[in-house]
Amino acid sequence: MQKVRKNDNAWQSGRAKNITFIVTKDCQLACKYCYLVGKNVKERMSWETAKAFIDYVLSHENEFREESVVWDFIGGEPFLEIELIDKICDYLKLRMFELNHHWFNSYRFSFSTNGINYHTPEVQNFIQKNREHLSIGITIDGTEKKHDLNRVWKQATPNANGITQPSERGSYKDVVKNIPLWLSQFPDAGTKVTISSADIPYITESVLHLYSLGIHQVNINVVFEDVWQEGDDKRFEEQLMQLADAIIDGGWYQDYACSFFSEHIGKPLDPELDNQNWCGAGRMLSVDAAGNLYPCTRFAQYSLRSKKALVIGNIHDGINQNLLRPFLTLDRTTQSPQKCLDCEVASGCAWCQGENYDAAQTNTIYERSTAICLMHKARVRANNYYWNKLYRKLELEGRREEYEANKRDVKPEIC
Amino acid sequence: MMQYLVILLDDTSVSYCHADNPYKERRLINLDDLRAGIRYAMTENLMIQFVYPDYALPKEYLDVIDTIDHHDIVPYPLKGDVVVIENGELRVENLADAVVVVRLKKAELFDSGEAIAATLPKVQRLNVVVTDLETFTDEDLKRYNTLLDQWAAVLNAEYLHGRTPQLNLLTDRMMLTKPNHCNAGVENITLAPDGRFYICPDFYYSQAEPVGDLQSGPAIPNQQLLRLDHTPLCRHCDAYHCRRCVWMNRQTTLEVNTPSHEQCIVAHTERNAARRLLESIRKEATFMPEVEIKEIDYLDPFDVRKEW
Repeated sequence: MQKVRKNDNAWQSGRAKNITFIVTKDCQLACKYCYLVGKNVKERMSWETAKAFIDYVLSHENEFREESVVWDFIGGEPFLEIELIDKICDYLKLRMFELNHHWFNSYRFSFSTNGINYHTPEVQNFIQKNREHLSIGITIDGTEKKHDLNRVWKQATPNANGITQPSERGSYKDVVKNIPLWLSQFPDAGTKVTISSADIPYITESVLHLYSLGIHQVNINVVFEDVWQEGDDKRFEEQLMQLADAIIDGGWYQDYACSFFSEHIGKPLDPELDNQNWCGAGRMLSVDAAGNLYPCTRFAQYSLRSKKALVIGNIHDGINQNLLRPFLTLDRTTQSPQKCLDCEVASGCAWCQGENYDAAQTNTIYERSTAICLMHKARVRANNYYWNKLYRKLELEGRREEYEANKRDVKPEIC
Repeated sequence: MMQYLVILLDDTSVSYCHADNPYKERRLINLDDLRAGIRYAMTENLMIQFVYPDYALPKEYLDVIDTIDHHDIVPYPLKGDVVVIENGELRVENLADAVVVVRLKKAELFDSGEAIAATLPKVQRLNVVVTDLETFTDEDLKRYNTLLDQWAAVLNAEYLHGRTPQLNLLTDRMMLTKPNHCNAGVENITLAPDGRFYICPDFYYSQAEPVGDLQSGPAIPNQQLLRLDHTPLCRHCDAYHCRRCVWMNRQTTLEVNTPSHEQCIVAHTERNAARRLLESIRKEATFMPEVEIKEIDYLDPFDVRKEW
């Protein structure tokens, strides 16, 4: 049977509560495109804070009715705190069992890591212990040149405010050595690639490089921030068309997927029927070292350039439900400018509520940033090219009907 | 479309809405700013509402005020179109022609049931403003419901005798077929004693950012969020009498277009009481046949919002 690999959805996507521990704001790297503008070595979560948060969440089962939970660990680099994480996960398992909590048999521990410490005994022991309930994504941006363009080690000394600064030393070699081990343990794992203006020329070679490393799922997106230069959209479109040619002509489409190409993007959206909010902020919950709660990590202070943190509660007093109401009633049309409502290629154009908040002219989450507008339109044009080319190839090979009959209906994943 | 300009004549001008005025020191609006504000209202076709402090204004101010049609909002016992009573006994003698605003806290409200009931037949219109609405609990709501029914009984008797006193909490919804919100920043804007524009007096009293000055005129960033069509909850709501107070929204949910749970449940308790009052009057007489208030089984529209 003709195969075309589809983009994978996250575990229990849409049905799981995503709860994030910001265990540290430190990282070995200081990636140039990182939205975490306030990374520092000081804010590390204590066991007392983590325990109090867990006790709060698990003792309020009625407020968390989602059928499953993803316990997410983020930094900085989460594996810098593997000892704390191990303790947290042991306690979570114990308490969910003791409380006969409805999440006991429906949970995941999830990590997004830079991969540098992946091979260490501490991390490996943790993986062995929790293998059946674990998702780990390692971020590698592509070729060494592309990866090292942004993903650089931090300087040994932070600036006067304690904020880490980038060095010139790339991290590719320190990460790629752990990819085989990672893929042997998580063969279906995907990697996350982020594209900003300077990365555009390297997209094709980077995706193909990741495929050649054995990574079958490349989740790739352009940054939401307003970093784009004049002409970037044309260069981006050209790169994606080159990538489309390479994937189709090289037959990669059968076993490998790249999230840039999706049949669901580039269509007009109905203001009534397609009014849902893309972003999951507010349906998620995050906690930081101070015990403050956020609708998503993107609302913690270290993620924000120009706005104050949006704290919705703390581990002692719980969540202020009134502060969640704007997130849970937010829809697409209310936050979008008219040009988005009139857009004929609107589907698949994503946004980040945290970036919207940070970029808004007032302190609101209801002002959609449209910094990626031209980039989305470029992606749609290249995406159309991809599917037209692929379907024509399948048609000429007499395999299109077979493909159409067997394809899975995969909706884009909501953040 | 803007229709009204509220001009706070002094930093100690009386508050007639939810926020307390924290200013204790007198500071009159600059006379040139007052003239400029009036000129702005004339050029924009806005009706002016002057808000007064509790002392007599200098004659030159009164002369300037007198150059334009306007409404006066004054603290009791001054005389005006709207008379605001706070921190005191509910005295309405000689106020039959005025709109009477009573500002009180929840605890005072619960102590004032009889006084308000006794006042209703004596006024043309009584606006009761609860200034700590955000503290309402389920238990408070039960007591509030009882009070509303108590006042409804008085109003029922009055209406059946052909008299039609208005109580904002009950009769407004009974007479509305579409939303009648405050619409601050959309239909009205406020000029403060500092010569700058604010979305409403409560934004000035709570030291929010101004939204323009007399040189450039008002320019409200994200003004669309103040409009009903940009409120995911309120645009589907039929508690038409609700103030949809954007200041209170911002205080409680951090967004001007999102009401708190408390604002919603209080408004719906009033809505449901208005429905009962309307039914009661209609048992005896034909009244507002075009108004329909449906029976509903929720108090907070958030609980029945469309889930995606």
